[in-house]
Order: sequence, then C-alpha cells, then structure tokens
Amino acid sequence: MIDRRKFLGTVALGTASAAFLAACGQSSSPAQTGSAENPVTITYTWWGNDDRAERTRKAIALFESKNPDVKVNGNFSDFAGYWQKRATEAAGGGLPDVMQWDLSYLRDYGQRNQLLDLGTVKINTDAFDKSLLPSGQIRGKTYGIPTSTNAFAVYYDPAKLASLGIAEPDGSWNYKEFNAFLAEVGAKGNGTLFGGTDYTGIWWNFNIWLRQNNIQAFTEDGKLGFSKDDLKKWWNLTGDLRGTAAIVGEDKATQLLPKSPFGSNVTATEVTWDNFMAGYLADSGAKELKLVPVPSDDPDNLGLFLKPSMLMVASAKTKNKDAAARFIDFMVNDPEVGQIFKTSRGVPASKTQRDGTTFEGTDKLVVDYEKSIEKYLKDAPEPPIVGFGTLESTFKRVTQDLNYGKLTVDGAADAWFKEAEDLIKQNA
Amino acid sequence: MTQSPTLSRRAASAPTPPRKSRRRGANTRAGYTFLLPWLLGFIALTVGPMISSLYLSFTNYNLFDAPKWIGFDNYLTLFQDERFLQSVGVTMQYVVFGTPLKLAAALAIAMLLNSKRKGQGFYRSAFYAPSLIGASVSIAIVWKAMFGDSGPVDQGLSFFGINLGGWVGNPNMTMGMMILLTVWQFGAPMVIFLAGLKQIPTDLYEAASMDGAGPVRKFMNITWPMLSPVIFFNLLMETIHAFQIFASAYIISNGEGGPAGSTLFYTLYLYLRGFSDFRMGYASAMAWLLVIVVGIITLIFFKTSKSWVHYSGDAK
Repeated sequence: MIDRRKFLGTVALGTASAAFLAACGQSSSPAQTGSAENPVTITYTWWGNDDRAERTRKAIALFESKNPDVKVNGNFSDFAGYWQKRATEAAGGGLPDVMQWDLSYLRDYGQRNQLLDLGTVKINTDAFDKSLLPSGQIRGKTYGIPTSTNAFAVYYDPAKLASLGIAEPDGSWNYKEFNAFLAEVGAKGNGTLFGGTDYTGIWWNFNIWLRQNNIQAFTEDGKLGFSKDDLKKWWNLTGDLRGTAAIVGEDKATQLLPKSPFGSNVTATEVTWDNFMAGYLADSGAKELKLVPVPSDDPDNLGLFLKPSMLMVASAKTKNKDAAARFIDFMVNDPEVGQIFKTSRGVPASKTQRDGTTFEGTDKLVVDYEKSIEKYLKDAPEPPIVGFGTLESTFKRVTQDLNYGKLTVDGAADAWFKEAEDLIKQNA
Repeated sequence: MTQSPTLSRRAASAPTPPRKSRRRGANTRAGYTFLLPWLLGFIALTVGPMISSLYLSFTNYNLFDAPKWIGFDNYLTLFQDERFLQSVGVTMQYVVFGTPLKLAAALAIAMLLNSKRKGQGFYRSAFYAPSLIGASVSIAIVWKAMFGDSGPVDQGLSFFGINLGGWVGNPNMTMGMMILLTVWQFGAPMVIFLAGLKQIPTDLYEAASMDGAGPVRKFMNITWPMLSPVIFFNLLMETIHAFQIFASAYIISNGEGGPAGSTLFYTLYLYLRGFSDFRMGYASAMAWLLVIVVGIITLIFFKTSKSWVHYSGDAK
C-alpha cells in the first residue's frame, strides 16, 4: 500500500515543480542560424485592421517562401492597445524580434536602448530618399527604417459639395478662407452635414502651422521650441467656429468612434494623413474622395513634409539579428511587397518598391497628391522628444475639452504646457 | 428587544469548533501540503508584486531604466495633479451613488424572489445572469451601442418625448450610464441577500402579522435588523468593488476616460499613467493610496457597524 504521507508529498512536489517548470518555459537555446529543415523563428508584430492583417500575412508567406530558413510568427492589435503591450514587454525584456513602429515612440524606446541599431546589420537603404532617413535616426544611430511615407492633406467628398452647390476647393487657401469654406458647408449642410472636425486638435497639423511660421516644434536638446502664445494663437484659429455647424460637435464625434466623422459621412472634409484614403472610402462608401494641400497664410511655405507613416524596427535583444534584418529589408525594399500593400501603409518609401508597384484608382490619387506637393516639401522632422506619445494624446484630449466648452483657449494652453513641462522634467 | 430570545436560540445551535484529534500533526502537515500550490502562488504573484510596487511608489520608474529613488515625491505631486483629482471625484461619485442603488436593487429583487411562486428558479437565474457576464468586455460594448446616438435607449426615450441624444458622447450623461450598468449587475449581492432572507424564521413575520404590523413595519423591525450582518457584508464588498471599476470604463471610453474626463475612474487613470505615460512609480503610488483609502473606509464601516449590525447572540 502506498503510504499516504509519501503520496501527498509526491503530489505536492509534482505540482510545485510543474508550476516552476512552466514558469521558466523558454529554456531551449535558440539557434543563431537556421536551415530549411530547421528554420529559426522570429516574431513580428504590427497594428492595424483586418485588411492590413490579410496583406501582412501574404507578405510573410512570400518572405518565408524566399527564405526557407526563417519562419515568421505574426501578431497584431489595434493602435491604442499596441503601445501598452510594448511597454509591458519592454519592462520584461521580451519585445518581439521585429516590430512595426510609429515615429511618436521612436525616441522613447531608441534612446533607452530597447531597439537594435540597424546600422550594425545589413539593410539596403540605397533606394531611399536621403531626406527621409533621418527621421528614423537618433544621435547618428538608425533605429527605424521607413516603410512608406505620408503627407498631410485636406480630404473632401466632391459629391457632397456638389449636392450643397459649393465649388470644389483647389487647395490654394489661407486659414481665413478655409474657415469660411467650413462655415459655408456647415450653414448649407442644414444640421446633417458639418464642415469638418476641429483641425486644431491634431498635433501634426499644429506642427505644420509652426513650420509655416518658421518655428521649430522641438529644440535639439529636447525642449519645446514654441511658446504658450503660439499655442494659443493656433487654438484661437477655430475659436469662432467651435460650437457652430462648421465643426462637428465633440459629443457626436465621440459617439461615432472608432469611425471618424468624415468616414461616417457626417462631415464634408477632414484634415489628416493621405494614406487614410482606403479606410475612408471603405467606411463612408463614397465613390470618390479628393485631396488638396492644407491651408497656409504664406503661399510659398505650406510647411508640408513627408513623414514615415510607419517604420520597421528590431528589438535590441533579438537573438536572430540576421533573420530580423533580412525580414526588414524584404518588407521595405521588395517590389512584390509594394504590390501587396499598395498605399495602405502610405506610399512606399523605397524607390525600388515604389517602381515595382502599379498604382491605380484611389492608390494613384494618393501617389499623385504626394507628387503634386513635391515642390513644397521640406525635410522630415526628427523623431519627436521622449514621451511625445503622451503629449500628442494630451493635445487631442485638451482640444476635446475645448470643444466641450470645459476649457477656454488660455486654460487649455496652460493645461498642455503644464503636462509638457512636467514630462520634460521627468525624462531629463 | 422582542426577537432576542430567537436570536440566542440560534446562537446556541451554531456549530461547535472541531474537536482536537490525535492525528492533528499529520492533519496539519497534509493541510499545508494541499495549501502549498496556492501558497506559492500567493507569495510569488501577490505578496512579491505588492512589495515591489510599494518600493516603486517611492521611485521614478519608466519601465526601461532602473528606478530612481525620489522619496515621497510621487505622493506629493498627486495632489497637484488635476486629472488625479478629477479621477478621485469621478470614482467617489460612482461609489456614493452606484453602490447604495445597486444594493437597494439587489435587496428589492431578492425579497421578490424569496416568496414561493411558480418558476422561481427561472427568475432567480434570469436575474443573476447579468452579473455573471456583466464584467465582460462584450457587455460593455453592447452597453456602449445601446446608449449611443440613435441607439435603443435614445430611441426609446424619444418615443416618450425625451430627447437626450446619445449618452456615450455627453459628459453629463456618462456617469448615469455607468451607474445604471453597475446597478443592472446586482446578481451577486442578490444571491447573498436571498440566502440571508431564507435564514429569517417565518414565525417572526407571522407573529408580527398577528400584532397587526404592515409590510413597512415588518421590513423595518424584522427584515432589516435580522438581515443587517448580510447587508453589512454586501455593503463592504460592493464598496470595495466599486472602487476597483476598470474594464467597463476602459471599453466605453476607448481607454481614454473621456468624454471630457467624465469616465476617468481612479484605476483607469492609474493604468494610463503606468502603461501609456510610462510612469510606473507614479501609478504605484496611486495604487497604494487606493489601498490605504479603502482600508480606512473599511475601518470606518466596521466601527460604525456596531450601532446598526446585529449578530445573533449579541448582548444588546
């Protein structure tokens, strides 16, 4: 007969050791180089919707067929949850090998040694525009390679304007004219169609306005390059429009989330990045959407630039540097990958990929828009300061409070500056 | 008190503590053996993180670099942080209005379900169901759709000539919506109330009826005092629960605590500070402040309970 005490001891020991073993699961040592029979596995994560997931899966399959010694495990989430997951992984030292990245967070992770210096591995950047690459670099080290570019634009729906009897804009407008245009749409829209969303709520639009006024957003040493008065001036631009039909009410915009008011056919225009075209078309069901440049009070300086719409980065702790670099190189340079994504990530940044892709229909509209503003383009901005993600979301939140009437422009500027100064002090 | 004889009789019949056994030593060891997996988990997953979070609350920690000791700075800056104060206000509103309403609903339904009627089992499960699925993400999504612009609630109210528009985007309506959501999830306290109600001897009510007591009088003089330990338990648990609201607020406000900060609950702000702004030291300080405040409130509850909670066998 089994002794009861011994039996219990065995059970307890077994349970405990099983739990212990499960806790230190990944103990098998990963191979540095793989072969077709025994491939190395790298993990890749991105944000986006189902459409991007489908395209990404195709690209991964293509990569695996060309690189039988590497297997790619893909994983995605939406944008908001994406950064919270990365923060947790970084704290635990387990970032995925390769990641899709956003400019807003490049400094947070790059400067804190979480990302691999891509200058130390083999990635071909010959086909990239030289003015674009610095946006992936911090203090001379390359942490991110742009997959594609996007530029700021004003979207409008020609059919909606025609139905209201309003002429299509040509994009040569100053802020006063733009505001008048929004007000006209709102007045004729009769409560069902609004002019647009409050364009002063978007950080990047503010950044463009600063550039139109020859002001730098951030200084070299990581401080703010503009004053509280600049910010007040910016938020006062739409001061007369808030609460009128020129701007869609914040309560309405909140209800429509996750769709935008423009995608929900509630506004006639939207000021944002040009690569949102496909998403807006799908959301709104519109036949055609058009793009024109943003307003500027200086017709020779539109403040526009090409921003890397996304970057590819690798974890500093990846055990498969070579495989990760090959995957990044493939994703940014391969012409067939361009053919898969078209302009859904933005216009391909690498010339080989751009030339290898045929753009038709709406994709062509986006490419044509970026060509049309070429003469106005200036260098892409450097990666923003550490903690920029917080500043950007505070910017949005404070403008929402403005539109809810919970804050005055002065109060909003005070609130944002307080947060910004606190953040800069924190990260000093 | 008229019912005290009954109370002491029940006390006398309470189970006596287990008798000492010769094999006590062996039993203890077996007990601890069975306890071990839980104990290991408790130490590794609860006590350990709590201690490290206490340490982190005195540091500036951004998840990447080593924590920097800054003493009580986090705790002090909290009180100059307008969003923190806002989150305290939002949470207090929710606790103060949501919890009593939820308990009232739970008690009222429990009393209805206590009587003997046909299909009582069905009703009990039907009323309990929302609290089973209530904390889940899907319900928050459904709730959001229901209270959205031209959602069922908006349409239903317009039918009666009330035009409030959507609730989700209106900062003045979201709190009402969140409180409704928690009241609707009264199932768990209801089940406990039901069990408590079953314990009240029916002869008390019969005697009261003979003396000519109406339903209000019966409730005030029999149900309430007899049920007071259960009410106290539910009040305590639900208050603590209410302080911890997170998932529904996260979903309904897209993880931002909006519109205009109206759903910026304490735990949501804590989460945003920790994982969006990378200020884990600050978030830890918030967590510990919450522990302390909930502890104090629990203590106040226990102190004041002496005047209204009656346990069987009490001297008074």
